[in-house]
Amino acid sequence: MKHTLRLSRFDPTVDQEPHEETYEYEAEGTLNVIQAIRRIYRTVDGTLSFRDTDCHRGVCGLCSMMIDGKRRLGCMCIAEDGMTVAPPPNRKVIKDLLFEMD
Amino acid sequence: MSPYGRIASADKRQGQAQAMIDRKMETDVLVIGGGGGGLRAAIAADAAGARVMVVSKGIVGKSGLTQTAVTGFQVALGNADPRDNPDVHFNDSMRGSYGVADPELVRIFTQEAHTAVEDIEAFGARFDRDENGQLIQRALDSSQTYPRSLRKGDSLGTPIMQALRKQAKKRNISCLHEILVTKLLVDGDRVNGAVALDFRTGELLHIAAKAVIMATGGGAEIFPVHSNTPDATGDGCILALEAGADLVDMEFVLMLGHAVLYPEPVRGVLFTYQYLLPKGARSPYNADGEPFLAKYDPEGSDNPARHIYARAIFGEVRAGRGSPHGGVFFDPASVSPQTLHETLPSQTNLLETLGVDMTKPIEVGVAAHYFCGGIKIGPHGNSSLAGLYAVGECSGGPHGAARVGGNSLTEVLVFGKRAGKHAAESVAAAPAIRPDGEAIEAECARLAECLATAGDGPQPADIIDDLKKAMGDNVGVVRNADGLRQAALDLRALETDQLQRMALTNHDRVANYQWVQAIEARTMVRLGRVVAAAALERTESRGAHFREDFEQQNDAEWQRNIIVQGRDGDFTLRRSAIVSGEILKKAG
Repeated sequence: MKHTLRLSRFDPTVDQEPHEETYEYEAEGTLNVIQAIRRIYRTVDGTLSFRDTDCHRGVCGLCSMMIDGKRRLGCMCIAEDGMTVAPPPNRKVIKDLLFEMD
Repeated sequence: MSPYGRIASADKRQGQAQAMIDRKMETDVLVIGGGGGGLRAAIAADAAGARVMVVSKGIVGKSGLTQTAVTGFQVALGNADPRDNPDVHFNDSMRGSYGVADPELVRIFTQEAHTAVEDIEAFGARFDRDENGQLIQRALDSSQTYPRSLRKGDSLGTPIMQALRKQAKKRNISCLHEILVTKLLVDGDRVNGAVALDFRTGELLHIAAKAVIMATGGGAEIFPVHSNTPDATGDGCILALEAGADLVDMEFVLMLGHAVLYPEPVRGVLFTYQYLLPKGARSPYNADGEPFLAKYDPEGSDNPARHIYARAIFGEVRAGRGSPHGGVFFDPASVSPQTLHETLPSQTNLLETLGVDMTKPIEVGVAAHYFCGGIKIGPHGNSSLAGLYAVGECSGGPHGAARVGGNSLTEVLVFGKRAGKHAAESVAAAPAIRPDGEAIEAECARLAECLATAGDGPQPADIIDDLKKAMGDNVGVVRNADGLRQAALDLRALETDQLQRMALTNHDRVANYQWVQAIEARTMVRLGRVVAAAALERTESRGAHFREDFEQQNDAEWQRNIIVQGRDGDFTLRRSAIVSGEILKKAG
């Protein structure tokens, strides 16, 4: 089944500011937002930057992002068609959905 | 195309070979990995007066598996039963290792466990206590003689990591995030640093160090379903092997039968329903509605040691009695919602948040959980290579053929402290660092070439998928010679063909996850080959290793370890001496 997600893209070496792009991806059944991002990277656009060292179970907090404008954990949020995903506003963006953490 | 992509560093000499180090750093003790073992080691090394640097391919203190530890932390305090003591814990652990853990290491972590608890509480963790202020100790499964696991709700890892982060911060320990170490450097027979990739900037780093502590975790990501995070790619084992350190017990990959299989957002998430069985939950059952655990346990227990669950579920699935997604059923509604939420609060909440209906049976099944083996360590976490230490899941020796549930946190904290202290103390006598310029240059060239590679070959993630399939099909819960030989051929082909033709579609240096995966793919394939080779070598069944063509445990021939050594860019296996069986007698 086809699904869509709107992801924030930003390449600091080229872009003045982030912009949103809509991605269509295939998934049977539901995915969480982190899995959907990974699916898009894997099957649609290999240049998408994101973090893949988080816990995937709501513990570490590393995937806390703006999802449909609200701060939520990507791994605890089921991806819904047309959802927007962007880095949190208080973090410096390294590229796309990869933002600084320490 | 320039292998450097867009980023040009100002101090790069013109006309030089394209690949070179962008940044040089130096420290006394380099800790690779920022989970529980890495941070505990860093704190101990700092306390012993060494300059310490922690690098992690994730976020130091927030990545890794320690934080996800749920229910088990074994410490023989004797609070629940005064007959318990470190000797009983030792015997339980040796028996639980099927006789092939290193007895010296088991002696150490069982005896020093109580100090580990005192330390971590002094750093700010606080475990559940009874009304008298005594630490609560509870039973996990039949492998422990007396109840001895500490408790903090059902998420022990969180308070432990919070305490370690706090202590590391207080000590101002230098932490570098999202740094993937790609090679260990050696001078003669001693480790003296590493080459690494900074994921965020794409810079190549040379980190000179007088001692290196490997704390990179396990490699469950080489299997199709696992309970780990996707960064558990076995980096530390392969880096150490290639630098000349021995690995041990690599055939023993603990598979659990407690992973939720469906829906996708929770695939691989552990639901430790075995703890609900003593509270009256219905035993897991197959598609015919029949319970099945007892018939797979040599002792006939209907709540057997945890690795028996995986074998039992695999058996039911193979016999055609599995659930739609390749597992069996467990009914969380067979206990009251109150019992469910009291016993497994965070797991239940996680599953419910991600849309699982806990009033209906759920599908549970097999997932790779823990590499019992790893870099062979001595009493100080010291490897066979001078200057190199290992702690936690990437180390081998403390757990033998099957890690007892709840012994991981114990071992991580005990050997983390020991490795950090010893590494720091070794620094004074370590020779001056003489960087191997040739090796550094060759590694930079390899990384640059890896980034530049283009064409219509397989992408790193394709190769990783093929690897997972081969591992799941033939090197998983139940093994046999034909399957293992097939896996060896398949994996060798991945190494000699697929990895050689691997192509990236993204050639930018900055935050390029394909580049990371390309490096990891090579590591993971090598790790898969090591596991398959050791599994083929061990012609018996023991602990987490089950050979259907050699179903019996054969102590006369095999109460020993298989050691993996690097040789000529590849590896070879040898057998240790027989481990003494005396210690296995059950304590009174």
